[in-house]
Amino acid sequence: MKKSTRRDFLKQSALATGALAAAGRLAIAEDAASPVDMCIAKWEGDPDALTELATRLTEEAIEAIGGMGRFVNQGDVIWVKPNIAWDHSPEYAANTNPDVVKTLVRLCFDAGARQVKVGDNPCHQWERTYRNSGIADAAREAGADVIHVDRSRFRDMEIGGGRLQTHPVYPEIVESDLVINVPVAKHHGSTTVTLCMKNYMGVVENRGVFHQDLPSCIRDITAFMKPRISVLDAIRVLTANGPTGGNLDDVRRMDTVAAGTDVVALDAFGCELLGHDPHTIDTVTYGHEAGLGEIDFRDKLNVREMTIS
Amino acid sequence: MNIPRPRSWMQWGRRLCQAVFLLLFVWLVLVTRLYDEGEAPPLLSVFFELNPLIALVKWISARTIATGLLLALLTIVGTLILGRVFCGWVCPFGAFHHLVAWFRKRPEASALPEDRSIWQRGKYLVLVVLLVMAVFGVHWIGILDPLALFYRSLAVVAYPAAQYAVDDASTSIFQADPSIGSFEITSVSEPAYRFMRDRVFRVGRQAFVGGATIGLIFLGLAGLNFVKPRFWCRYVCPLGGLLGLVSIRPSLRLVRDEDTCNECGRCGRACPAAAQPHKHGEWLPTECYVCWNCVAACNFKGLSFAFESPLSRPKVGSLDLSRRAVIAAGIGGFAGLFAFRLTPHAQGQIYPPDLVRPPGSRPEREFLQRCIQCGVCMRGCPTNALHPAGFFEAGIEGLWTPMVVAKRGYCQHTCNQCGIICPTGAIQPLSLEEKQSTSIGLAFFDTTRCLPYAFNRECIICEEHCPVTPKAITFVTREIEIGDGQTQMIRQPQVDPDQCIGCGICEWSCVFSDRAAIRITSAGESRHSRNQPILPSFGPY
Repeated sequence: MKKSTRRDFLKQSALATGALAAAGRLAIAEDAASPVDMCIAKWEGDPDALTELATRLTEEAIEAIGGMGRFVNQGDVIWVKPNIAWDHSPEYAANTNPDVVKTLVRLCFDAGARQVKVGDNPCHQWERTYRNSGIADAAREAGADVIHVDRSRFRDMEIGGGRLQTHPVYPEIVESDLVINVPVAKHHGSTTVTLCMKNYMGVVENRGVFHQDLPSCIRDITAFMKPRISVLDAIRVLTANGPTGGNLDDVRRMDTVAAGTDVVALDAFGCELLGHDPHTIDTVTYGHEAGLGEIDFRDKLNVREMTIS
Repeated sequence: MNIPRPRSWMQWGRRLCQAVFLLLFVWLVLVTRLYDEGEAPPLLSVFFELNPLIALVKWISARTIATGLLLALLTIVGTLILGRVFCGWVCPFGAFHHLVAWFRKRPEASALPEDRSIWQRGKYLVLVVLLVMAVFGVHWIGILDPLALFYRSLAVVAYPAAQYAVDDASTSIFQADPSIGSFEITSVSEPAYRFMRDRVFRVGRQAFVGGATIGLIFLGLAGLNFVKPRFWCRYVCPLGGLLGLVSIRPSLRLVRDEDTCNECGRCGRACPAAAQPHKHGEWLPTECYVCWNCVAACNFKGLSFAFESPLSRPKVGSLDLSRRAVIAAGIGGFAGLFAFRLTPHAQGQIYPPDLVRPPGSRPEREFLQRCIQCGVCMRGCPTNALHPAGFFEAGIEGLWTPMVVAKRGYCQHTCNQCGIICPTGAIQPLSLEEKQSTSIGLAFFDTTRCLPYAFNRECIICEEHCPVTPKAITFVTREIEIGDGQTQMIRQPQVDPDQCIGCGICEWSCVFSDRAAIRITSAGESRHSRNQPILPSFGPY
C-alpha cells in the first residue's frame, strides 16, 4: 500500500474540486497552481540552447501537471522508459532526447524516489544503442541505474487484452512503483506515427507478431501497463523514414515537450504535431475506444498550453 | 633413494613467460568484442604480426608485404640465434598444449627416454604443402596456423560455450524461480549471473554456425596431448616447421658435461618435444622448444644451454627430411590446389548465393589470399552477424572465412568494425560513409512466405528496420480478391535495388525465425563487378 502524503491529499482535493467544478459546468479559472491533465510546453527562446530548452520544457510541463510529487512517493522505485530503439546519435531524433530523460530522473529523485532505473528493449544491438543515443550517460549523470533489458529475463505474463492474451514482458519494469513513459515523436512506416502508446513495445519481447496487427497489440499492452504519466519529447521530430531515421534532412525542430496523465490525449496531440488527424490513426482510435483516454483532448481535458523562453 | 626434485629458475621463468602470453592472448580474445566504435583493441594483432608464417604466406600468395613485418623478422632473427624459443616461451597455443599435457601421467622412472619419430617430419611436410599452394595464390594457412587456430577456437567455441553455460543455467533457475522455504534461489543466482554478464563477459552472447565442428577439432587437438605431449607442436604445426627450419644451427645450444652424465635418461623423459637431449651428439635443435625441462631434470647439473659461435658446426642430429617426402608433399600441395578449385564457385564462374561477405571484403580471390580464418571479425562483430563459412557456402578454399548469417545477426548500419580489426586486410577498413554505400548483397522477398503476399496479412517489420534513407523497402497498396467477389486493400512490401545494401536487418527482423520471408544473397555485392545483375534505374553504371 502506498501512503498518501499531505501534499498528495491537497492535490487530490484540488483535483476533486476541479472535477466537481467541471461537472457543475462552472468555468474553471486558469490558475497556475492547480494541476492540469496535460501540459504542452513550447520553447520560444534561443533555439541553440538545446540542453536548456529540453530541461526547462520538461520541468515546466511536469510542474504544470502537478509536479513529480503527484506521481512519485517517498522511497519509490521508478522506471523511466525512453525510446532507445536505434543506434543513432540524438540529432537523428530516432531516440528520446537525453536531456529530457536526465531531467525526469532528477525530478524523480527530488520527489523522493529511492531508485530510478532507465532502460528500453532496443531494436538494434543494445550496448551501442544505449551508448550512442546519449541516454545511458545522461541518465547516469543524474544518478539513475541504466538497466540492460536482458532478453533472457522476460517472463510470460497475462496481458488479458482482446488480441494479446499471454506475452513475455520484462518483470523489472512491471514491478516498479511507477513507469514514466517518455517517447520521442516520430514518423512510422506502419502506424504513421510512433508516440506514447507505441513506446510500450519496449517492455515486451517477440515483437514480430505485433506487426500483423499493431494497433490492437499496442492498445492491449498499453492497457496492461496502466499508464499514469507520459512525457512526449517533440523537440527534434523525425518526420519521414521513421522509425529508424538516419537522415538529418528528415528531422524537424519543434521544440515542444508535452506531459500528461492521458496517454491517448498525448498521442492525439502528437498526431497533430506530425500533421495528422488523430481520428485517422488506428492506435489512437483503438486506445480511445478501449477507454484508455480522450482523442478530443482540448474539449474533454484540462489542458494547458504554454510558451517558454 | 629419495632424490630431491631439481629446480631451475629458467624453467620457472619459461612457465611464467608462457602464462603471461597465454593470458594475454585469452584476454585479447575477450576484449576484442568490447571495442566497436572504430577502434581496435591495443595489441590485438601483435600475435599475428609476430608470426612469420602468416607474413611469408601472405607475401607469397598475395604478393604484399604484411604490416608489422618487423615483428615477424624479430621472430625469425630470434629463432636463428636462440632456436625455437617462440614455441617454448611465447606461443599461446603451445602454452595451452603444454598445460594440457601436464595432466598426463608422468613417465615411469624405468621408461626409456623417447627418441625422435619419423612422424615429426609431418610439420615440415605440412609447411611444404601450404607453401606450394601459396605460390599459386591459394592458402589454407589459417586452418593450420596455430595462432589463427587458437584465436578461432577461443572466439567461436570457448567463449560462447562458457557464456552459454552461465546464461542458460541461470535463466533456467530464473524461469523456474525455485525456493527453499522462504529462500529464493534467484536472490543468489541472479546477482551472480549479473556479475558474469556485466563484469566478465560484458557483451551479448554469441553463437556460431559451424561452431560445433571447430569445437570438436579443438577438443581433439587438446586430447591428442594424451597420445604424446604437445602432439600438435611435434607433428603438425606448420609454424613450428618453419621455425624448425630456421633453427638448424642456433647459437644457443644444449651442452652436456660428458663427465657427469650417467646415462640415466631423465632429460630425455622430461623432453616434451622428443628432441633427444639424452643422445650423445644427436640433440635436435630443430625440434627443441628450449623449455629447460631437460636441464632441470638432470640431478648432476650435467646439461646446460650455452652460446656458441654461430660459425662453429654444432654436434647435433640433422633435420630428418627425406627428399622424396618433400617432393611428394609439393606434388600433394599442387594437387590440393586443383582439388580446391574444382567447383564453378571456386573458379569464379558463378557466385555462391549465401556467401555474403562483410563490408570492405576484397574480391573473392584476393580475399582468400589474405584471410587467415582467425575469427577476429567474428568475435568483434557486435551483432553476431559474421560466422565461419562451411564448405557449402565458401568452398574448401574458403572454409571458416567470415560470412554474414543475417537470420542470426545483421550488418549494423553505423558500424565498420570488422574492417578495422581485421589483422590481414582481407576486409579493408572503410569509413562509415564508405561502408554505408557499400553493398554486401541484396534482399529478396519470398512471396510464398511473406505475410502480405502469402496470407493477406499486414506486416511491416522489415520496412520498419530498414536503415537506409530513403528506405530500400517500400509499400505498394494493391487490391486483392479474397473470394466471393470481395476485395481487400493490402500493402505489399518490395525492395528497391538501388537503395538496398544487403545489410540483412530485414532478414534478421522478419517474423519467421526459421527461414525468413526476406533474405539476402550476394547478388549486387560491390566487390564483384560481374555480380551486378540489376542496372541502376538512373545514373552511371
